[in-house]
Amino acid sequence: MGNFYENIVVKIEYTAISNTNGHIDLRKMERLAMILSNLHNSGKHILLVSSGAIALGTNRLKVSSPPQELIEKQALSAIGQAELIKIYQNCFESYNQIVAQVLLTKDVMENQLRMINAKNTFMKLMEMNIIPVINENDTVSTDDIELNDNYPLTRNVAYLSGATMIIIKSDIDSEYDLLLKGETKTHHIFDEEKLLEKVEELMNSYKENESGSFFPESIKEIELSKYN
Amino acid sequence: MLYRKELKYKTRIVIKIGTASLSFPNGRLNFQRIERLVRVLSSIHNMGKDVILVSSGAIAAGAGRLGLKSKPADLASKQALAALGQAELIKIYQKFFEEYNQTVAQILLTRDVMTIPIRNKNARNTLRTLLDMNIIPIINENDTIATEEIEFGDNDTLSAYVATLIEADLLIMLSDIDGLYSADPKTDNTAEIIHSVHYIDEKIEELAKGASTNFSTGGMITKISAAKLCMKDNIDTIITNGASPEIIYDILDGEKVGTHFVSQKVKNLYTHE
Repeated sequence: MGNFYENIVVKIEYTAISNTNGHIDLRKMERLAMILSNLHNSGKHILLVSSGAIALGTNRLKVSSPPQELIEKQALSAIGQAELIKIYQNCFESYNQIVAQVLLTKDVMENQLRMINAKNTFMKLMEMNIIPVINENDTVSTDDIELNDNYPLTRNVAYLSGATMIIIKSDIDSEYDLLLKGETKTHHIFDEEKLLEKVEELMNSYKENESGSFFPESIKEIELSKYN
Repeated sequence: MLYRKELKYKTRIVIKIGTASLSFPNGRLNFQRIERLVRVLSSIHNMGKDVILVSSGAIAAGAGRLGLKSKPADLASKQALAALGQAELIKIYQKFFEEYNQTVAQILLTRDVMTIPIRNKNARNTLRTLLDMNIIPIINENDTIATEEIEFGDNDTLSAYVATLIEADLLIMLSDIDGLYSADPKTDNTAEIIHSVHYIDEKIEELAKGASTNFSTGGMITKISAAKLCMKDNIDTIITNGASPEIIYDILDGEKVGTHFVSQKVKNLYTHE
């Protein structure tokens, strides 16, 4: 496997890959696949955390209003996750990039064996040059799903994969938030053309001044600031 | 053969298909087999039956995608292959089901779905809602985080859990064996398929020990205990060969194929005659 410092978790919200009408924007997904494949080609290991299963399930069934009930959300998510991963597969295929699907529940962090298994799976996938596409396993989730919009999940993935950096793409204007391990300050990048450049720069600066602080804690603060 | 005739009235059917039935002896996926299975399932769904598919094959699909010649031995590699293979497998199912205008959903479960009440409730609710929506759920084990090598034993146990979870009335287990034999057919010419089993006793369990399948991880033993689990919950089970998925039609027509594990509920129907 590559350098420890080279693992990047990218968290993408559904708004970043959809149209304003709530339907999936294939052009945006295609572009995302291109950027991530390119980052991967540059020698980084990418882990993608993606929302959108419920929305895709809703669209697939042509349900007019978003589901309110948990049961409905879980059912739509089971339909939509299959659709979502198919679209990712097709988009990444153009760049000869293989993806895998990993569905996690929150207790992955509470159960030692599960944690080790998930960690080993991530390590193995990265070693095999495969990009894992990760989402919450909504079907069996005990909490209200997608309430936290995958922030805790992203943090867990970063922890399990030993990622140095998280990229959060959260809106439709090609705006990225970059967060380094040990930092609480996010770096905003408005131009996706500059993303690779900026990632390199931040990676290098990180290597020089490794702060040593623990990654999950810093993410927690980001989370709090997002929700308070 | 009265009990066989009842099978056509089954309304909620779990079909479990093992890796051996979905792939060639070299381990690669048999697309034609999968396509035929999908056609049969869409057709029985069109008859008005609820259909739930429990499908293995993720590791085989992953190995195929990467062009690997053999299945990896270590757990981490298997889990990694399952993660990419499950995505491939569900894509293939979607593609084939799409031909028949049938929407599918993907459900990945771990064993604790049976032991943690809230998970149990969530999974049951999700499955019920999907069936209400006329969707065929495709279920597999969530290998990435499974704590044992293959917790459910090639999904045999998982399929029985699913059947009880959603109160199915029939479980059909398709594998590379024709059913439960009276002796090991590989070594004994007089071996015959036992077409119906009313009680699973030590004698039956002893017969299961002698049987083995080459490619799947679950042998006859896990199938018998799956059938036992179902019988307790009044669910009939059929164990038969999945080489020809159309065998599902024969089963529903009441034909004498495979081994039928008759549940008490069905037996009660005839006790007054």
